[in-house]
Formats: sequence, C-alpha cells, structure tokens
Amino acid sequence: MNLRRFLLRKAVYVVLTVFLISALNFLIFQILPGDPTRVLLPRGGSSNQAGESLRQELLHQWGLDQPIPTRFVIYLSNLLRGNFGTSITYRPGIAAMDVIAPRLATTLALVGLATAVTMWLGIILGRVSGWRRGRRTDVLITMTTLFGYSMPSFWVSLVLIFAFAVELNLFPVHGEISPDYGTLDPLSKVLDRLYHLVLPVLTFAITNIAWFSMTLRNSLTDVLPEDYMLTAAAKGLTEDQQLRWHALPNARLPVVTAAAIYFGWVLSGAIVVEVVFDFQGLGKLTWDATRALDFPLMSAIFFIATLGVVVANALADVLYMFLDPRVREA
Amino acid sequence: MFRERLRENRKRLQKLLRELVRQRIALVGLVIITASIAISVLAPVLVGPYPSSVQGAATLQPPSSEHLLGTDYQGRDILTLLAYGGQISLLIGFSASAVAMILGTAVGLIGGFYGRIPDQILARATDFFLVIPWLPFAIVLSMVLGPSLRTTIIAIAIVSWPTTARVIRSQVLSLKERLFIERARAVGAKMPYIIRRHVLPNVMPLVWAEAVLTISNAVFTEAFLSFFGLGPPPGAGTVVSWGTMVNQAYTALALISNPPMWWYFLPPGLAITFVVLGFAMLGYGLEEIFNPALRRRR
Repeated sequence: MNLRRFLLRKAVYVVLTVFLISALNFLIFQILPGDPTRVLLPRGGSSNQAGESLRQELLHQWGLDQPIPTRFVIYLSNLLRGNFGTSITYRPGIAAMDVIAPRLATTLALVGLATAVTMWLGIILGRVSGWRRGRRTDVLITMTTLFGYSMPSFWVSLVLIFAFAVELNLFPVHGEISPDYGTLDPLSKVLDRLYHLVLPVLTFAITNIAWFSMTLRNSLTDVLPEDYMLTAAAKGLTEDQQLRWHALPNARLPVVTAAAIYFGWVLSGAIVVEVVFDFQGLGKLTWDATRALDFPLMSAIFFIATLGVVVANALADVLYMFLDPRVREA
Repeated sequence: MFRERLRENRKRLQKLLRELVRQRIALVGLVIITASIAISVLAPVLVGPYPSSVQGAATLQPPSSEHLLGTDYQGRDILTLLAYGGQISLLIGFSASAVAMILGTAVGLIGGFYGRIPDQILARATDFFLVIPWLPFAIVLSMVLGPSLRTTIIAIAIVSWPTTARVIRSQVLSLKERLFIERARAVGAKMPYIIRRHVLPNVMPLVWAEAVLTISNAVFTEAFLSFFGLGPPPGAGTVVSWGTMVNQAYTALALISNPPMWWYFLPPGLAITFVVLGFAMLGYGLEEIFNPALRRRR
C-alpha cells in the first residue's frame, strides 16, 4: 500500500468516526428526559401565560419544534461551523466553546506532563522487567506496578494528599496556583504551577505505569527468543548493546499502540484528578456541567474529547507506519 | 456416555487447576477472590447484622476495642460496612461482566465468522466504542438513565464489551481457517450449527478468561461511579459499596480534619484494590493458558 492511499484511508476513517460520534452525541442528548428550557425559565415560569409563550419562543429559537431528522441536520451544520451550542449555566448564553477554551490549557498541561512521566517511567521499568523476565527484579516490578494499576485513582489522590500535603505538609492540598500567583514573576509562576502539579502527576504515574511497563515487557519477551538476539549475543555485544540495538527497536511498536489507547483514558483520569485536587480544567468542567445539567456544555466537551482521541489514534497509526518497515513497505 | 463426558470434564478441570498452580500469579488471584467472596457472603456470620444508623450513636469515632476501624458519619461500625461492601461491588462486577460477555461474544462471533459487510460494520462499531473515553461516557449514561443498580450494570457493560468482541473476533478468524470447520462446511453443515457446535466450544475458554478480566474492570468502574455519587443510590438499609464509602469519607472531610481519619478512607480503597487485583491476576493467568497467541511466552 502506498503512502497516499494509506493516508487517504485513514482520513476517510477519521471523518466517518467523527460523524458517528456526532450522531451518538446527538442521540444521547436527545433521549435525555427533561425540557432544556426549564433551566432558563424562572421557577414555575411555564405555568403562567407569559412563561408559556416565552417557552414556546425558546423552543422555536432553538429549533426544538422541528422533527428530529431536521434537528440532526441543524446540529451537524452547526458543528461544521464550529458552533457547539451555548452554555446554560456559565453566564447563560455564552458559547460552550468560550467556556471550554481557557480550561483546555490547564488540562493539556496536566495530562501532557502526566503522560510523559508515566511513559518514561513505564519504559524504564518495562525494559528492566522484560530483560530479567521471571527473576526477582521482574516479579517485584510487575507486582508493584500491577498493584498501582488496581488502585482507583480517586483514592490514590486522597492518599497522596493525606500523606504529602496534610501529614508531611510538603505539597499544596488543592488548586493549580497559589493565592499570590498574580504577584509572582514569570519564572516563579512556572515553578508555582509545577509545584502544584507534582501530586496530580504522581497520581497518574502510580495508577498507569503498568500499562506501559507491561506492554514493553511482553513485547520484549516476544522478541528475546528470536534468532537475531542469539546472533547479537554470539557476536559478543554487551547486554546493554543487545537491548539497545536489537531488542528495543523491535519491541517498541506495541508501546506506540499502547500510547494511542492511553489517550482515550486520559480525560477519564483528568476528571478524577481535577475534581479531587480542585483544578480548574476540562475534567472539573465536565463534572460541574454534569452536576448542573448543562447539557449543551456536556455535549460539547464530550464531542471535543472524543474528537481528540480519534485524532490521536489516527496520528499514532501514521507514526506506527513510519516506525515499522513491514507496514511501510507492505 | 454421560459418565464418560463427566470424567473428561473432570480431567480437563484437573489439568486447568494444575496449570493454575504452576502459574503462581493466577493462584494468588484465585485465593484473593475466594477470600473476598467468602467474606462478603458470610458477612452476617462474621461481623453480625448490617448496621442501621442509630440516633445518638457516636459518629466518626477513631478505632477502639469496640470498633476496630472506628465509626462512620452515621455512627456505623466501619469494619462491618467493609465486610458487607463487597456484596454490592461483586454483584455489579459479576452481572456487568455477564452482560458484556454476551454482547462482546455475539459481536465477535458474528463479525469474525460471517466476514465481509457484517464484519466491517461490527468492527467499526467496536473500534468506535473503544475510543470513547469511558468515564465521561459512563457518567453521561448514568445521568440519562437515572442512578440505580440496573443503570450501573448497563453503563459498565456498555463501556466494557468492545475489548471482548475484539479478542473473540480475532480468535474466530483464525479458527475459521482450520480444517475441521472446512470439513463441517463441506458436508453441508449450516452456519448456525457450525458456530454452535464447533466455534463456540473453542472460543469459550477465552471467553471465561475475558469474563474474569472484565469483572476486575467492572468492580473498578463501579468504584468510580459510586465515588461520583452515580452508583446505586445508598438508600436506607441498602448496603453501601466501597466506592460510596470513600465518597462518604471524602464528604465527611476525613482527609483534612484534625487529626485526619485515615481509618475511614484507607480501608475501602484497599478493599477495592485487592479485589480488582485478584480478578486481574486470575484473568491474566487464564488468558495465558487459553490464548494460543500468548502461550509462546511462557
């Protein structure tokens, strides 16, 4: 398959998935019980005449009096123009996108740093454990990481807060910036943010290292019995050289796939961590929107999050192709 | 005939048990699971009746000889709540896994066996459900359907079937090429018959391994939903799940009160961890025994 055709097929796939996502999104938020106008109308407003006519006005304005297929077309054309609807609770009427955009940076910083740290540690541990498979080091690493993987992240953040923030008083209990953040110089601002990120990032690392370390360990185990590894050893290469030149280049591909799947979980992790640590990011916003029944906002977040995952997955596939000569030349 | 079959089954079971013992990881998992099931089922015998909130009971007491793990915000004994908590987590884990298995196996079988257009549609649907972030999706589902035991089970099943569908599909794809299937086809056996008689028995072991792994996932997901107050609502007299216990400890400010009430929020989290770990260990072990693709690794 040549590169052009491969990319074209990927692109078609992405577009198709995005369409499915928007359809599902529309479906979920359509079968939701409840009348969206009630959140805006004054309490008991729809019982009197003025309230009822206001309600009808809103229904008409939002196109809710149209048949469902028409509404789906309206919804899709709005999405294409980047209109994700208006938030009901955050200053009613403000575009959902304007609520989301400023929060995106906070969350991207959090999950970006967390993913980097988790992958880095996971690769280091997975390498050791795959190379020494079955020995004591491997059992120790595997059991420890698997134990961390089994811990619910909300609880891990609570334990970390308890140990490092309350008892030892080393890190802040919550928030992404100090109260005096505004008065700091630029360098201190960055450091202040990093300081607040330590425990949240640690939560991600503890609960997710196993995903990467186990993937690398298992793929190393597949590679090590190969003939070329025996050749490498027979040539007199040191263990480190065997690992670095011959084992890892062949074993790292599944890690790319693992990373792609991991993007799908990152937002789930962000919701938990941001709620417990009180970070004003996308995860916290998701939670607040859910509590406030702000359906347009929820729908917009849900759409953007899934879109992010689909695009990340497609990018990982393309990266995979560049890393794997078998796929590239097939 | 029946006897013979029974003996054969027993032989197979013995072989499986031998494999499990050889694979220490699965055995440890099995021990953890058995212990947790025993504790939650035998809770009435072990720790007495389920505590109801008593007016005027001492709330949020630290551990003492009377209450080994102290009391919760309603004055109930935490150790007792902990023993009962497994009932709800395991009930949800087993039921959600059962639903997910039926769905996942059906999709995997049909897609893998019939190929072409049905497979294309089902495989795309599987991929699609795999990329959806599970927690927001489960939260939205719980909101839409309204929190209840059934909702929690459905929401968890919907987010967990795709993995199974994928595993089963790839297994069916390789089975399909095997000689005995071709032979059955050649003598004119109908598709549903081949699936029932030849394909299903061959993928069942893998389904069991997947089922155990999915229970682990389901218990995990239930904890998250309960922590967010979207699990089965803790009404009067109903058993509180471990996730809800952590939530209640969190709401009761167990963390930042002075002194912090570690005995309130640590035990339920550890309980979740051990049960999730137990099922995961048994699941990985079974998968390595049953999945030919992984067998080479041992």
